[in-house]
Amino acid sequence: MLEYAGSQRAGLQRHREGIALGNVVRSLDWVLVAGVIGLVAVGLWAISGVTRFDVPGSPQHYLQRQIAYAVIGGFALLIGIVIDPDVYRRYWRPIFIGTIGLIAIVLLAGKAARGSTRWINVGFFTFQPSEFGKLLFVLAIAGYITERARGVSTWRSTLRTVSFGLIPVALVFIQPDLGTALVYSAALAAMLFVCGTPWRQLTVLGSVAVLAIVAVLWIGPAVGVSFLKPYQTHRLTCFIHPSQCTVDARYNLEQSIAAVGSGQGNGRGVNNATQTRLNFLPEHGTDFVFASYSEQRGFIGASLLLALYLLVLWRGLRIVTVARDLYSAIVAGGIVVALLFQIFVNVGMTMGIAPITGIPLPFVSVGGSSMIANLAAMGVLLAIYARGRASRAASRRR
Amino acid sequence: MGILGFALLAVFAALFLRLWALQVLAGQKYVNQAQANSFRILRQPAPRGLLLDRTGIPLVTNIPTTAIELWPSDLPRVYNDRYAELARLAKVARIPLYEIARGIKARQKSNDLVTPVTIRENASGPMQKYLAERASQFPGVTMSRSWIRHYPYQDLGAQALGYVGAITEPELKRLGKSYDLNDQIGQAGAESTYDTYLRGVAGASKLHVDNFGRPLGTAQLATLPKPGNSVRLTLSLKLQEAAEKALQYGIGLAQSNGEWAARGGAIVALDPRDGSILAMASSPTYKPSVYAGHVTTRELGSQGLTTKTASAQNYPALDRATDATYPPGSVFKPVTALAAMQEHLIAPYENLPCTGTYQSPNDRSHHTFHNWDPNVNQAMDLPTALAYSCDTYFYQLGDDFYSLPGNRGQPLQKWARIFGFGHLTGSDVSPEVPGLVPTIGWRKQNFSKEKDPCCWQVDELWKPGNSIQLAIGQGDLLVTPLQMARFYALIANGGYLVTPHLLDDVQTSTGTLVQMPQLPSPRQVPVDPAALAIVRQGLLEGTHATFGTSYPVFGQFPVSIAGKTGTAEKLITLPGYTGLKSQSWWCGYGPTEDAKIVVCAVIENGGHGGTAAAPAAAQVFGAFFHVHVKQATSTHSD
Repeated sequence: MLEYAGSQRAGLQRHREGIALGNVVRSLDWVLVAGVIGLVAVGLWAISGVTRFDVPGSPQHYLQRQIAYAVIGGFALLIGIVIDPDVYRRYWRPIFIGTIGLIAIVLLAGKAARGSTRWINVGFFTFQPSEFGKLLFVLAIAGYITERARGVSTWRSTLRTVSFGLIPVALVFIQPDLGTALVYSAALAAMLFVCGTPWRQLTVLGSVAVLAIVAVLWIGPAVGVSFLKPYQTHRLTCFIHPSQCTVDARYNLEQSIAAVGSGQGNGRGVNNATQTRLNFLPEHGTDFVFASYSEQRGFIGASLLLALYLLVLWRGLRIVTVARDLYSAIVAGGIVVALLFQIFVNVGMTMGIAPITGIPLPFVSVGGSSMIANLAAMGVLLAIYARGRASRAASRRR
Repeated sequence: MGILGFALLAVFAALFLRLWALQVLAGQKYVNQAQANSFRILRQPAPRGLLLDRTGIPLVTNIPTTAIELWPSDLPRVYNDRYAELARLAKVARIPLYEIARGIKARQKSNDLVTPVTIRENASGPMQKYLAERASQFPGVTMSRSWIRHYPYQDLGAQALGYVGAITEPELKRLGKSYDLNDQIGQAGAESTYDTYLRGVAGASKLHVDNFGRPLGTAQLATLPKPGNSVRLTLSLKLQEAAEKALQYGIGLAQSNGEWAARGGAIVALDPRDGSILAMASSPTYKPSVYAGHVTTRELGSQGLTTKTASAQNYPALDRATDATYPPGSVFKPVTALAAMQEHLIAPYENLPCTGTYQSPNDRSHHTFHNWDPNVNQAMDLPTALAYSCDTYFYQLGDDFYSLPGNRGQPLQKWARIFGFGHLTGSDVSPEVPGLVPTIGWRKQNFSKEKDPCCWQVDELWKPGNSIQLAIGQGDLLVTPLQMARFYALIANGGYLVTPHLLDDVQTSTGTLVQMPQLPSPRQVPVDPAALAIVRQGLLEGTHATFGTSYPVFGQFPVSIAGKTGTAEKLITLPGYTGLKSQSWWCGYGPTEDAKIVVCAVIENGGHGGTAAAPAAAQVFGAFFHVHVKQATSTHSD
């Protein structure tokens, strides 16, 4: 069992409502705030260079949008800070149903974008529910786990949680959005870990997951059942066996690696970054934004971005330990691991150390849903930290 | 928690190490790989839309050319090799080396080495052959298809049609979206006004190159260029040709009358019913073809299109129909007549004396204003005064306007503005100037202590002489020929102010009509139809009564034409000469009862209206009504 602020004291239901908003603001994690602001700023800087030649004659087309999304996301972050996380725990059922509903709407009525359906068009804005789903999924599953906190170490409860969590995962998977389904799974695993599931059970679950992947990738095709779309199989097996890649599947990877490598120490600058500018690198504003950014800004720029991610994730992990109660701790763990997983898969894919999946790079990739959802998640993290600190201070005073 | 922390560090360690390995350890390898990416995207310029006359005859077309392009990033790295290649290229393309260097420097300055520099828009056959056969000696040189403007009628309508040139940095900044550094855009006239219709969308083709940037094989079309839309103008090719010939004829006539300074002018022909511009000539003119393909200062200079040569050639780029202002002189008298009737200063058939001179009882300086005919002495009504163009009759009207009490405002100026003077016509011909209708307020503002240190205290006052001069279209009044044509259209069509325009319709290259903005429809002005009828009578007498000022030109014309001469004095400064010269005007319309065309002609420094402008205008009417007009003789009149 992990230690979190609340558990060291006997009662969980203590002084929850008594924490004033003023205290919350005073006990914010300003290092995390600074890290997030830095990430958004570097992300906008990256987009301003990466997308400069994407819309002829309008070099700031994407930058302007992205700034607007960041501003909206800033408000989402503030709202996240203001709302007491306990509200999510109490209302986890509607949140869960809402998450399923959103994903189902996409399945039913969404429009196809690049071979898969992830978008809903709401007039002025195409909205990508699975991005918001990441946060909502964590909030809901944590609620489910907390309700059954007593029997947390039994096989029965663990399996129930896993099967419950796999419903949205499956829905996202058949969209099909393999990458996001993997992000959900990573978050689910993290939440099981944080809530105190015994090692034995985690190990067994991990082995089952590995077996499932093996089945999907090798045994399934061998016996003529394919769970994955051909392009997904190609991308994944291509990562494991580069020599068997189709030309198209290898093309993206090679161009991406060449883009990252050609950035060298200082970067090639916006005008002479030919991989990006001459469109050798596809999707350089979204999935491959890290490669494009590394080509333009070099090792110095890329390291700056990675260091900011590290800072934010480190502060995030600390929040798991200062959380006021079990629910907050699980939520923080889920958010941080989901973020870490996305960063690793996206950055790793551009450098050939992770398979190619369409996961956006948090705070950088062009796209409103991702930016707003990630900032909102940061808001929830800050809220958890602030209330953990405030309740600790309050009990110390007593 | 320690486990998650460990996972975090492990993930980031992996990412950093991989990044280090790719960028720092193996960076150079990937730079080479990126540079060796084996194709280049070539722009495929779209053919620009045609400019057509009202019947669909192409006035401006395109011819396909092959452009020589240079990719600075693919030039040899060694200075001597680079220099040698550029020197050879300069020789082959017959472009000075410094021009090529300037193009490359501009790319370097904007830190952009992956956009090609266009060396020559129109490479000749031998040039193409030479470069294609020796491609290996010219790394970084590619050839692409392009288009340049072609002018089948040479200098016809040059100022109205305009020309096309490379987009400039400020233009690119201003236009932004969808324009490109290599674009050609309309720089004047209809080419500029309707650029958005005329310009197409460039396509792209892929060209395989080796790692030195030398082309392998020919370019493959990737996206097709989309040709621009054709713009049909209201101009009539036949009438435009006639107007330009008539203008030369008028200038020649003036010179043979001894008006040595007559070197330019303008003719505007309008449809008075809707404001369509049927012809718009401006002289001197130039050949817009000097802007097509490779532009050289020498060629521009030979056409008077550089700042240095413009004055010697009397400013051929200036569109005198819309962009130049002149004092109108007597062609303005119908404005005074209408204003006086509207303000009840005169009854149409009330007689006023027409004498050789006029002195204003209001004028304390007792200046004598002269009539163009010093020997006349008879009473005249308004139509006769218009037809005979009696100055003293209108001097008295000007004096009456001056004597109006202050609370009546400045009605003559008010009516001039209502009739379209002193502001832009709103036409689609660019550029356009508003001209000037002088008012009491304008004088006060214009003659300030700073601008007019000696005499501002006198000059800033509105004096009787100012009203008297204004009444006969002299003094500070300035109008464009287009404004004047629009005013005569108003007389002819019964009081409607039209918007002169060149655009008829726009169609795609396959002939589908394109939606275009609606022009404002002719606007009725609050002028008494009876007063207009009186003026029309005066203008008809001007061409048909034996005493009419343009009777010798139009008296025997097979179609009934009504109109007015004007001889406006203007202080001109030429090398070695400063003095007053008469601007020769004639404006009118025909057929009198159901006018289908208005013609306004101005011959700069051309002397009397009846001797230069009127015969020129008659030639335009002749072409319009398909009648042969014998080259007219002239009388001295105003």
